[in-house]
Amino acid sequence: MVLLLILLPIAAGALLFALPRGERLWSRVIGCVVAAATFALPLLDPNGGAFSARWLSRPFTASLHFSWSGVSLWLVLLLALCTFCAILATSAVQSRTMVALLLMLEGSMMGVFTARDILAFALFWDLMLIPPFFALIEWAPHRETAWRFLIYNFSGGLTLLLATAAFGILSGSTDVIGTTHQFAGSWAPWIFAGFAFAFAVKTPLWPLHTWMPNTYAELPPPVVAVISAVQSKAGLYGFIVIALPFLRPALVEWRWLLVALALVSLLYGAFVALTQTDTKRIVAYSSLSHLGLIVLAIASANPIAIRGAIVYIVAHGLFSAALFLILGYMEEREETRSVLKLGGLGAVNPKLAGAFTIAALAALGLPGLAGFAGELVILTGVFRAGYFWPALIALVPIVLASGYMLRLLQDVINGPEVAALPRRPDLTLIEALAVAPLLAALLFVGIYPHALLAAAMR
Amino acid sequence: MPNFITHQDWLAITPLLIAGSGALIVLLVDLLWPKHAPRYVSLAIGIGVLLAAGAFAATTYGRSYNAFNGGFMLGGFAVVFQEIIVVSAIFSLALFGTFGRDDRMAGITALLLWSTTGAMLMAGAANLMTIFLGLELLSLALYCLCGVADRPASQESALKYLILSSTASGFLLFGMALLFGATGSVTLASLALPGLTANPLYWMGGGFFLVGLAFKLSLMPFHVWSPDVYEGAPLPVTAFMSVVTKAGTLAVFARFAYALPSGEKLLLPFFVVAGISMIGGNLAMLAQTDLKRLLAYSGIAQAGYMVAALAGASALGMRYAIYYLAAYMFMNLGAFAIVALLSGEREEGAQIAAFRGLGRRRPLLAAAMSFFLLALAGFPPTAGFLGKILILAATVNAGYAWLAALLIAGTAISLYAYFKILRLMYDPHDSPAPTARTSAPLAYAGAALCAVFVIIMTFYPLTPSNVLPLVK
Repeated sequence: MVLLLILLPIAAGALLFALPRGERLWSRVIGCVVAAATFALPLLDPNGGAFSARWLSRPFTASLHFSWSGVSLWLVLLLALCTFCAILATSAVQSRTMVALLLMLEGSMMGVFTARDILAFALFWDLMLIPPFFALIEWAPHRETAWRFLIYNFSGGLTLLLATAAFGILSGSTDVIGTTHQFAGSWAPWIFAGFAFAFAVKTPLWPLHTWMPNTYAELPPPVVAVISAVQSKAGLYGFIVIALPFLRPALVEWRWLLVALALVSLLYGAFVALTQTDTKRIVAYSSLSHLGLIVLAIASANPIAIRGAIVYIVAHGLFSAALFLILGYMEEREETRSVLKLGGLGAVNPKLAGAFTIAALAALGLPGLAGFAGELVILTGVFRAGYFWPALIALVPIVLASGYMLRLLQDVINGPEVAALPRRPDLTLIEALAVAPLLAALLFVGIYPHALLAAAMR
Repeated sequence: MPNFITHQDWLAITPLLIAGSGALIVLLVDLLWPKHAPRYVSLAIGIGVLLAAGAFAATTYGRSYNAFNGGFMLGGFAVVFQEIIVVSAIFSLALFGTFGRDDRMAGITALLLWSTTGAMLMAGAANLMTIFLGLELLSLALYCLCGVADRPASQESALKYLILSSTASGFLLFGMALLFGATGSVTLASLALPGLTANPLYWMGGGFFLVGLAFKLSLMPFHVWSPDVYEGAPLPVTAFMSVVTKAGTLAVFARFAYALPSGEKLLLPFFVVAGISMIGGNLAMLAQTDLKRLLAYSGIAQAGYMVAALAGASALGMRYAIYYLAAYMFMNLGAFAIVALLSGEREEGAQIAAFRGLGRRRPLLAAAMSFFLLALAGFPPTAGFLGKILILAATVNAGYAWLAALLIAGTAISLYAYFKILRLMYDPHDSPAPTARTSAPLAYAGAALCAVFVIIMTFYPLTPSNVLPLVK
């Protein structure tokens, strides 16, 4: 079952390339059906779906071992949902290529989130970096963006590779995710450094974030929705399922650094978001800030904070996917991303403005929406862990988030209608359907976070 | 010590005899044919002979026998190397099927078979004489093969190869002579004699010997011949040479390294050279505009990876060096097949610029090329990925973590070079370059088979269990 989750999207994506280049209808239909199937599949059997086959017996044991139990389930569902919405939202001319890349991206990330073996995790980790690179070649206006993405992320992939090999050799097995196998020894800090570098680049964490704003700004909205919503979580997921259980002593030893970097990311992301004028960049930097909070939670290694981190991972996935998709709609209509030129959209396109408002409010942590639940639990946990000052500092960016998000809303939605902007029709049914599930899920998690918290406790 | 040659000895070298005498059959058929034998006849005989040799070699797997008083080792890793060599030779012949000329095909096939024989001899060679015999048989045939095309570059490449490779052979021979002086014996087993390290002849001889091997493996800084020769030689020859010389030389190095007492300091400089190759080869790749040169530098770096696997002379390392060599064979030959499909008679397709816009003109070919480049870069789901992991594990396990770090750094550099070609193929902003449209069913089939094996090897990493070199 779980293999289907990985192979079905990859195979479907590869087959889509057989369609003609400009094809728009069937690729989207197939893509939506596949994404919907990957969403339904884990729901049929929430605890199981495990697959395991021996892969290596020398020099360490490794298995092709996959399962979606535990935290994985929520990330798998988030990924399937975001992919579904993103495919529904593809309206670019080359929808075939985009849907194909999105499906391959989904399949490879399914591998990352369901892998129970670190070597399999590393395999899919490297694999998931390839579709975004091709997307950048195809659509990014600047060539450097693709190179920057490549150099940062693939360097991370390589340190992950080295750390995996060393971990396997020294512990004898990489088939350990989900077990409580503690790893100790003089090599542990180095192995931790290898893993942490890869995860920190992907998250991203200041100062390894410099690939991120350009990549997020230049990728087409459906692709960036999946990347920022789900792929960035691969790093956090790695911290939670690999670094935290197996390398806890090393993590505890180096947590001061992680806490410091997380705080810098939190503050830096928020302050830079205040100064940006490009709508996508504002959301990109807000992501840096929000994910810094999750890293802070992980570094505190407090069980409550970790639970909060899982809730916030899902919440951030939902609202950042929604925000990027909606910003994409906006750019398509108004042909600009500059907040200096946008304005008065509330009067012209009320549905679009409404959807945007909900997503933005979730991002700034309004109670009742998913973001708030995650932030609250994380901060509780961080306080409990004895990190009084870091938790206090982490409150500042949460206030700043209201600043940049409300400014974004104000500049884009409110105010007088800008005459120079083209007037385009409001959200179509398909476009609305693409964001509606995300917004509904935001509301659900916001009102009933216990669903996630209970799962995270296991 | 008995000096009789038994029928067991002859059985041990039967695969070599098949390949070597097969060459004579090819020539004879060509001679008796009214004008010239059509190229497919020579090819068919050549491939048939190689299949027979490969099949016969396969039957000896698992047996170990010390033929000719320790001159030739049967079993162990020799068989695996021989199979790799045979497969590469068949592949090269298949490429010649498209690009060769009728009147030269018999000669080319014969030379290729002799070259293969030499390499197969090296795979099992266990004393200094047989090593040199195999190496020279391999090299002499290759000098001629490099020059078979009509282009001046081809002749230039043959001459360059002759001069530089002979120099390397000189080093090797000198080293062998000194080692003989130190040990009083030509067998590698005598290198394990106690008290040898006190003899300066041993250090000098070993040093010269290793320099010669580094030349042949094209490790930096002894690599200068390889890009020029690869660029000028006909494409099928380049493909053959890129795998077979590495396979043969690696087998010799492995036998030498494993014959030494464990923890021997003599090999350390060789691993340093391998480290330099990983970084330097990948750095030099960045500057290339010709794909054959690029693959030459890539080969320099990959040879570095394979040697790194042998660091510490562990049993694990030997397995993974072989695994990586087999993986390299498939991904490298696959890439060469795609280049061959893109280039016409004059090999203009070997320019990297010819790949511009390939993703739109011939999507399947571009996808295959991307796959092989990703494999060479070590991306999943390919054997290149697993091979790197295994080599990293072996080097870390053997206590050579610095080599693992260099491998990672080299790979990071190589990504840029490989992805530059990917970008070129898929960038929508560039206007596509025109290409010759060649129809070569054998090359297509070869590329497809390579791709299949590269994937299969990832999930079924069959590393032979019986690979410990038998030298004692």
